[in-house]
Amino acid sequence: MRRARMGMGRPVGRRGVGRRGVSRRDFLKVGGVSLAGAALLGTAACGGGGGGPQTADDGSIVVVFSMAPDDSGSLTSLIERFNEDRAGEIQVDYRQQPTDTGAYFDQLRTQFQAGGGDIALIGGDVIWPAQFAANGWIADLSDRFTEEMRADFIEGPVESNTYDGSVFGVPWFTDAGMLYYRQDLLDDAGISEAPTTWEELKEMASQIQEEAGTEWGFVFQGGNYEGGTVNGLEFINSFGGEVLAEDDASQVTIDSPESVAGLEMERSMVEDEVSQQAVSTYTEEESEPTFLNGNAVFCRNWPYMYGLVGDPEASQIETEQVGVSALPAAEGGESVSGLGGWNFYINAAVPQETQDAAWEFVQFMTDPEQQKFRALEGGFLPTLTDLYEDQEILDEVPVIALGGEALQRTVPRPVSPVYSDMSLQMAEQFNAVVNGNATPEEAITTLQENLQGIADQAPE
Amino acid sequence: MATATPPQRDAPTGGQPQKKKRGGIVREFKNPERRTAYLMVLPTLLIILTIAFFPILYAVVLSLTSSTVTGVGSFTGVDNYVAMFQNPAFLEGLYNTVIFTVISVFFEFVIGLAIALAINRAFRGRGLVRAAVLVPWAFPTVISAVMWRLMFQDQVGVINYVANALGVISQPILSDRTLLLISAIGVDVWKTTPFMALLLLAGLQTIPGEVYEAAKVDGASVVQRFFSITMPLLKPALLVALLFRTLESYRVFDLFWAMSNRELESLSTFVYTGVRISQLQFAQGNAASVFIFVSAFLLALVFIKGFGMQTSTEDG
Repeated sequence: MRRARMGMGRPVGRRGVGRRGVSRRDFLKVGGVSLAGAALLGTAACGGGGGGPQTADDGSIVVVFSMAPDDSGSLTSLIERFNEDRAGEIQVDYRQQPTDTGAYFDQLRTQFQAGGGDIALIGGDVIWPAQFAANGWIADLSDRFTEEMRADFIEGPVESNTYDGSVFGVPWFTDAGMLYYRQDLLDDAGISEAPTTWEELKEMASQIQEEAGTEWGFVFQGGNYEGGTVNGLEFINSFGGEVLAEDDASQVTIDSPESVAGLEMERSMVEDEVSQQAVSTYTEEESEPTFLNGNAVFCRNWPYMYGLVGDPEASQIETEQVGVSALPAAEGGESVSGLGGWNFYINAAVPQETQDAAWEFVQFMTDPEQQKFRALEGGFLPTLTDLYEDQEILDEVPVIALGGEALQRTVPRPVSPVYSDMSLQMAEQFNAVVNGNATPEEAITTLQENLQGIADQAPE
Repeated sequence: MATATPPQRDAPTGGQPQKKKRGGIVREFKNPERRTAYLMVLPTLLIILTIAFFPILYAVVLSLTSSTVTGVGSFTGVDNYVAMFQNPAFLEGLYNTVIFTVISVFFEFVIGLAIALAINRAFRGRGLVRAAVLVPWAFPTVISAVMWRLMFQDQVGVINYVANALGVISQPILSDRTLLLISAIGVDVWKTTPFMALLLLAGLQTIPGEVYEAAKVDGASVVQRFFSITMPLLKPALLVALLFRTLESYRVFDLFWAMSNRELESLSTFVYTGVRISQLQFAQGNAASVFIFVSAFLLALVFIKGFGMQTSTEDG
């Protein structure tokens, strides 16, 4: 159609073929533009099913249980044990989910939107319950998980499941931010105890950096991601700042001198050269080698890192050189650890019989025997307070003995139905502070305004 | 089927193409061969309509409502677009994307053309060089992004170390968004220049050697030959390559996401964050995806209409 052929008259014949090939390709490209656009616009809408409980061949009720991959194998063996015990009654089907928590969350959310799907029981992150509960996607467990039962569990994880006065999940295993320190370096410097305040930590770090020539004092996670939010909140909470009002999740209260003081402390780590500037790009993955290669005196990380200490492939330091304690507190304040870990949630959309069966399994999994099994086999930290005094666990899982205090001082991240959006804002602002792109006052003012704006949009 | 076509009917379409225009749709369908062709294309068309056009239209609709990820909201007109243009994250994404696209495509074009001209000549081991040049392009973007991230990293990163030692930078590359953007452009140029070179090389190979010989005989200099023969004859291939690269850069996602660990915002990362991570910016994310679609479409139009790019193989 277009006659825009240029050339010298000659190359039309055979040569034209080659050119035609190219032209066809660019014709495809125009189609490609639309398709590419379409790909970016992907939206999903599917229908869900209904009816009675799903049953297996032997008449037992099928409980589809979703959870991230079971690397230790301890989950699978417990499920097998349960299925054998309850053969003919209940059958739990383990459905593996993505390792990446965000991808897992996303997948569940899509299923819930589509009407609930067939997953009856969810092993899920501690930051999910409010977001699911506000939409009515997960069942209120207040009546099943009685106050009496709750008393046996560590407080932080239970709190993370409490939204709007009701309990929506049962703590399964937990996780907490801890302070790792170099015992040998502290000994050499004549320091007998791990720091209990941030100021102390900075003094010790500077002293050791100077005397022993250790490159960095304290390494933490300051990146613009969920972990950055957790770190920032630990600083803020340890100074007494709170993101949401205690009894009202729609009221943002982050704008306080305490919050500013917390972020000032976080920033001062970089300013006083206790932490490297690059800590503003760090996730756990980058913090780990800095400490394990012996380039830092202190490190804030989750309990999993203890398992890597002394591993010749990951670490140049030995277990004797490392101590673990609760995170430092503000002067005169209390130590606070960011809470991680996983809970059980029951899909509100599955039939009542299936929910009952799922609850049976939850009780089985969270009782002391099974929690202990998972702690010994997979290093999963129990959520029952009593297990922190169990001698066998203390012997086998040293990080529990060392950091038990931190595990019991956990504070959940803000329990809000719009937490995802809040976290994006906090990660961004906390990161700007660590980076030096915003002052703590600016960041807190911005957050107060933005977070309140987000909280106001929360579903009722 | 086609064999059953009476030859006298087939003749006008083949021999006198100008006549078919007047016939219109009815005439088109009266021709059994053409009808068969349309019927055979129909399923594809239907599929494209369902999987491409429906989602696009639906996204446009959603972008005009106060929808959340959980449900379609009420009609709000262009509110989402207004809010989007007031959102600093979106503006940053737009700015980064435009800068990234313009600069990286420019360098890819210049270097790619140079490489194409070089390997278009006959020399020993040409096949090997051509293959070697393509290596960076063969890497999946995410892998090369993560690889470069390691090199930019402050603990183990060789580039960060050298740049620091030379005094080029005063702070870690990954902690500064401007440095990150420059790095991203560098990585993109590294990665996709070979692709550009390959497309341009294909274009160069369609230019017959005799044309150059004739020009040489007429006394044209190297520069004259380049601007009067190579460039005009290369134009079709060049435009295709440029359009392809421009649109691809414009939609940049994986490179930014993986290399900067979500620090660097582009239009596409804004859409992803809005639609998949955030619960409240769903509608704004939709608006942004519509914006990308429309602007990418306009870009393509500029190439096709403005620069006279060929989109059809028909001689017309």
